[in-house]
Amino acid sequence: MDKQSYTCVLVSDFNLQNFAGYVANDPEFPGIKPISAPFGQPVATLLNRELPCWRNTPDVALIWTRPQSVVSVFNALLRYETVPLQKVLQQVDEYSSMLINMSQWVRYAFVPSWVLPSYRSVFGVLEMKTEIGLTNTIMQMNLRLAENLARAANIYVLNTHNWIVQAGMQAFSPKLWYLGKIPFGNEVFKAAARDIKAALHGMLGYARKLIIVDLDETLWGGIVGDAGWEKLVLGGHHHLGEAYADFQQALKSMQNRGILLTIVSKNEEQIALEAIRNHPEMVLKLEDFAGWRINWQDKVQNIIDLMTELNLGPQSAVFIDDNPVERARVKESLPEVLVPDWPEDPLLYPATLLSLRCFELPSLSREDLVRTTMYLSENKRRGLKKTVGSLEEWLTRLAIRVQVEELHSANLQRATQLLNKTNQMNLSTRRMSEAELMAWAEQEHHRLWTLRVSDKFGDAGLTGIVSLEIQDRSAHIVDFILSCRVLGRKIEETMLATAIQHAQALGIKNVYARYIPTAKNKPCLDFFKRLEPRFRQQGECFIRDGKQPFPVPEHIELILTP
Amino acid sequence: MHAKITQMLFSVIDELNQLRPPDEHLAKDLETPLAGDSGRLDSAGLINLIAVAEQKAAAELGRPLLLTDDRTLSQVNQVFRTLGTLADYIHLRLNEQNDG
Repeated sequence: MDKQSYTCVLVSDFNLQNFAGYVANDPEFPGIKPISAPFGQPVATLLNRELPCWRNTPDVALIWTRPQSVVSVFNALLRYETVPLQKVLQQVDEYSSMLINMSQWVRYAFVPSWVLPSYRSVFGVLEMKTEIGLTNTIMQMNLRLAENLARAANIYVLNTHNWIVQAGMQAFSPKLWYLGKIPFGNEVFKAAARDIKAALHGMLGYARKLIIVDLDETLWGGIVGDAGWEKLVLGGHHHLGEAYADFQQALKSMQNRGILLTIVSKNEEQIALEAIRNHPEMVLKLEDFAGWRINWQDKVQNIIDLMTELNLGPQSAVFIDDNPVERARVKESLPEVLVPDWPEDPLLYPATLLSLRCFELPSLSREDLVRTTMYLSENKRRGLKKTVGSLEEWLTRLAIRVQVEELHSANLQRATQLLNKTNQMNLSTRRMSEAELMAWAEQEHHRLWTLRVSDKFGDAGLTGIVSLEIQDRSAHIVDFILSCRVLGRKIEETMLATAIQHAQALGIKNVYARYIPTAKNKPCLDFFKRLEPRFRQQGECFIRDGKQPFPVPEHIELILTP
Repeated sequence: MHAKITQMLFSVIDELNQLRPPDEHLAKDLETPLAGDSGRLDSAGLINLIAVAEQKAAAELGRPLLLTDDRTLSQVNQVFRTLGTLADYIHLRLNEQNDG
């Protein structure tokens, strides 16, 4: 992971110095360098692009306010004066417009939702009454804010209430407020710092994508090889059984959000699979798992094999096992795999899983939601590969279709996601927000295409990006990005053909591809080195004569969508 | 009681150090200067020290502690000169509670 610090402008009507201290001094990745906006002037700061804090396009802005400082009529509500809800929401709309305008000045913006001090419940029974209760009003304001800000792809409304709950009795600090204009106790700022770092971690492309889970005493209670599947502790009217079922439910919920589930277990494979197929309380079915290694081999080797099969690196994986010896072994041998400390008590399994902060994605695409299906299709492709004589025959029998289209609002979210999280087949490893990517692609001398790949086994979705920058009579390939799910099927060559044929139509003299090395993109360098038809190599730059033809591979059906 | 107060103040220092860069960490030592000319804390640091110390006194010593009254704030540089002077002052205030 990179060592750079990401700049974060802090905009608030209160003192955020303690929050700044926590994020700046937390040694965990990603590093954050706070930049304080003028104290106590959130609206003026949001309206003035010329302020020093907005220079050099900061990576992140945190705009954390009390409601009364940006929605002026809220002051009247605090005095229990009558204000029509419509008037309150109108001011929320105005504030939202300021935030949306500001979001163009940064890559990402975080806006914590508004909260009222929990000690403020003097008219408790009326708190949830519409047009009377302040709690009701503030919930409606937050909902309106979230709906308004959904229009900007790089603004995220954060749930402050979660931080308040985590901080408990120390969440609000009248003492800190009167002494230093700090409304919250430090536990709130710590929780906020954790959440914002976790979100940024995902936005930078480091979200985990894979859970590797053990079976006995982890996915169910008991040892299936000893007890038989009928005697496993799972579901039913038993506190432990319920906890194991809830743990599976939590895993299923992760899978529904695009996280792959796999099994690595020391067991007899047939016995374990029989349990998964036959136990009536199994929440997870065999088709929920993208792969498994169930045998008596070393788990580290099994994990390596499984990740190779799935084309994922160890930095993508989380390993869950009840056995501390197995956890220690994996932690030591595969330090990039996240191995969370796991509780001894199965009643704590679901909460432990759901409190992990390593899966955060900035957006959810169609590809995320059907990821397991895609990997199961991949298993079928591999099965076909074993039955045919040559690579060419396999590729032909896959009946691959590649749909090429330019960047537009409908594919922008997925394209940005792919840009920000692809590490291996990535020429330049640029990281950009949706707004930045669209702005780049819209420039006259820039072209960017997305590629959707499908074959007879299924649709892999939008899995490729190639972009060009035209300078005089030269074309520079800026992005060359392909998901690891479709590597090795000559989609790479199809991407190059798309870009080169476009360049040729413009009468370009040479096409350049400058490889920018990272810790993870050597597969891209290897591809360009062994590519046929060949590129000439000069250092880390690959060059091709613009006049030489570069055909689309014969087995690919190319569909160009305007 | 003095040893317990010292331990409580060391846990306050642990909290405050989370807000500071490693090369500006405060030492868990009774001679560590806090406020005044040679003090290591700015006004925000002092506010945090007071708030966290009051919280921890309640949680770890089971005793209420008030460090924002006129008596304390009128002699800030003496009370908060070092971790040791603060420990002595807290000891004095808690003893006064016993006497009262």
